Amino acid sequence: MKGRIVISMALALALVLGGMFLVSHDLEGATKMTLNVDRVKKAPTGLDDPVWQKARAVQIPFEGKEKFENKKATVTTKAIHTGDSIYFLFKWKDPTLSVTKGAWKYDGTKWVHQKGNEDRISLLFEIDRINKFATKGCAVVCHVPEGAPNAKDGKFGTTSAAEKGDLWHWKAARSDPAGFADDTWVTVISEKKGGRKSDAGGGGDKKNMTEDKSKPMYQLAPGKKLGKNGVLLADDAVAITNYSAFQPGDMLTYRMPKMPAGSRSDIRAVSHYRNGSWTVMLSRKLDTGNDDDVAFNPRKSYSFAMALFDDSGDEDSYDSEVMTLRFSR
Amino acid sequence: MMETQNRSKTLLEWLALDTLVAWVRDLEVSSHGLSWSRFCGSLSLVLVVLLFISGAFMAFYYSPAPGAAYDSVDYAQFNIPFGDVVRGVHYYAWNLLLVVVGLHLLRAFFVGGYKPPREMVWISGVLVMLILPAFIITGDLLPWDQKGYWSTQVRNSIMSSVPVLGDFLVRMLQGGPRTGIVALTRFYVLHTIILPGLLLLFIAVHVHFLWYRGISGPLAGEEGDQQKKVPFVPNIVNRWLFLFLVVTVVLGLVSWYWPAPLGDPADPTDATYVPNPEWWVLSLNQLVAIFKGPLTVIATAIIPGGLVALIMALPFIDRSPERHPARRKKTILIGAVIGSILLALALMGYIEHHLTPLE
Repeated sequence: MKGRIVISMALALALVLGGMFLVSHDLEGATKMTLNVDRVKKAPTGLDDPVWQKARAVQIPFEGKEKFENKKATVTTKAIHTGDSIYFLFKWKDPTLSVTKGAWKYDGTKWVHQKGNEDRISLLFEIDRINKFATKGCAVVCHVPEGAPNAKDGKFGTTSAAEKGDLWHWKAARSDPAGFADDTWVTVISEKKGGRKSDAGGGGDKKNMTEDKSKPMYQLAPGKKLGKNGVLLADDAVAITNYSAFQPGDMLTYRMPKMPAGSRSDIRAVSHYRNGSWTVMLSRKLDTGNDDDVAFNPRKSYSFAMALFDDSGDEDSYDSEVMTLRFSR
Repeated sequence: MMETQNRSKTLLEWLALDTLVAWVRDLEVSSHGLSWSRFCGSLSLVLVVLLFISGAFMAFYYSPAPGAAYDSVDYAQFNIPFGDVVRGVHYYAWNLLLVVVGLHLLRAFFVGGYKPPREMVWISGVLVMLILPAFIITGDLLPWDQKGYWSTQVRNSIMSSVPVLGDFLVRMLQGGPRTGIVALTRFYVLHTIILPGLLLLFIAVHVHFLWYRGISGPLAGEEGDQQKKVPFVPNIVNRWLFLFLVVTVVLGLVSWYWPAPLGDPADPTDATYVPNPEWWVLSLNQLVAIFKGPLTVIATAIIPGGLVALIMALPFIDRSPERHPARRKKTILIGAVIGSILLALALMGYIEHHLTPLE
C-alpha cells in the first residue's frame, strides 16, 4: 500500500512539474529579440566594472536609413538592474569620434561653423501604450509612412495624446560632456511641430552665438577646464570681451551642454571613445516617479527600440527592430 | 415540535437549512473514496473552484473591447496587489486541470470505471473533459495579446475546414468575418457565463450519476473494502479543504516566481507572428500538418470526431463485465496504441514548434 502511495505521488509530481515546464516554456512564436536585464547586488561603478563581464550580451543589428541606406551596424548591448536602478552598457564600432556639432573656428578674419555633427544613441520605451509600437517599433513614431495621422514633414510623434513614449537620447557633444543623456518624451504630433518634448526641469544645450549669429558669444571662464572631448559646458562659459585675443585656428563649442535638473536629469551617462569604438553606460532609477518617464516594473517585460547616429542629424540614422526588455528577479 | 416552540430558533432553522445540514452531517460514503487513486477527482474540483474564484477577481478589472482589453489585463496583472498571482493561478490551474481531468479519465478507463451500471458516469465525465478546451480557446483571446489573437486565427482556420458547419461556426463565434469587438464580446460571454454554466451542469450531472450509480469500487480481490463506510464530514470535506489550501499555496508560489505570460498587444496587421501551439493541442496540430489541402478535414473533423465518438461509446463497445485490466487486454492494448500515437504526434509537434528555432 505504501509503495502504491509513493508511486502515485511521484507520478503526480512528475506530471505536474512536467506540465509546468511545458506550460511555462516560452510560447511566443515571434522572432523578437530579447535583452535580458539580470539582477545584481551592487551597482556598477563604471564601464570596466567586473559586473559587466557576467552580464549577458546581445548583438543588436541596426539597418541604415536615408544617407546610411543599405549600411548596417551592430551594438553590443548589456543591461542589469539592482532592484532600484537599471543600467545599460552599449559598445559599437565607429571609426571617427564626432563631437563637432557645428563648432566655431576662427580663420583669422571671421568665425565659421565647422562641418560635422555628433555621434548619438537613443532608446525609446512606452510610457503609455503606443499603438503597434510593440510590433512595428520606431516605424510608428519616428519613421512614419506618408499619410499616417502622425506623419507631418518628417516629424516625430504619436497618433494620440494617450500614447506616450520615453526617449533617452545620449549625445556625444550636447549631453555626454555634462555626464547625462537627454531625458525627453514623445507625445501626439501637433499641427505645427513634432511630438518631442523635454522632460520637466532644465537642461539641453545653449547655442553659443551672438544675436547677429556671426560669431560665438562665450568662451571658457578663467580657472575652468574644458569638458570631455574638448567641449565647453554652458556652466563654465563666460562672455567674450576681447575677440582680438583669438588666433587663427582657434575653436569654440557651438552647442554648449547645460547641466540638467529635475526630471530631465534622470539618465546619467558615462562613456569613453577608444580604439575606434564607443562604450556608453546609461543608468536611471527603475521608477523615477515622474509622469514623463517610463516606470520599470521588474515583473513586467517592455518593448523598446533603438537608433544610432554616426556624425549625423535625425533623418540619417541606423535603426533597430523593436525588441523586448525582460527583467530577471 | 414542542421543543422547537419552546426555544429560540437557530440560524439554520431560520434559513430552513437544518434538515439539509443534518443530512450532510450524517452522510456516509464508501471508504474507497479516500483512496489515493481517486486523488484526481478531488483535485479537479479544487482546480475548478480556484478557477471560478480567480476568474471572478479578474473580471472586476477586465474590459472586453480590443482597444482596452490588453491594458485592463496589464493593469490588473501589474498594478493591482497580487494581481499577477491571481492571473497566474488562473493560468496554471487551467493547464493543470486539463492534465488532472485527463488522468482521471485515464484511470477510469484503466480500471473499467465505465462498465455497467456506470455508463452515464463515464459519459458525463467525458463531457466535462470536452468542455475544458472551449474555456481555453475562448479565454486565450481575452487578453488581446499577439499569442491569443493569432492562435484564434489558426483555430478559426482549422474550424472553418470542417465540412458544412465550419464556416457557419466561425461566423457565429466571431459575429462577422473578422476577429474584432463582436468576437471579443462573444468570447467573453462564452468564457464567463455560458461555458461555466455548462461546466457546472455537466459536473452536477456527473455527481448525480456518481451518487446513484456509485463509485467504481476496488478491482476484484479487494471487494471487502467497498462495504466500509466513512462519514462525509469531516473525513472527505477536511481532506478536500486541506487539498484546496495546498494547491492554492503551490499555484500561488508558482505564479509568483513564474508569472503568467502576457505577450505584446495584438496587432492584426502583423502577419509575421507565428503562434506556437500549446501543449494540449500539439497532437491535433501535428495531424493538421500531416493531412494537408483537401485532406485537412481528416485531421480537423474525422479523426478528432471519431476519437470522441469512440470514447463516448466505450461503455457500449466493451460490454464484458470484467474490470481488471489484466483480463481486458484487447481494450487496454487498443487504448495504449491510440494513446501512444497521440503522444508521438505531440512529441513531434513539441520538437517542431518549441525546440526548433524559427528561421
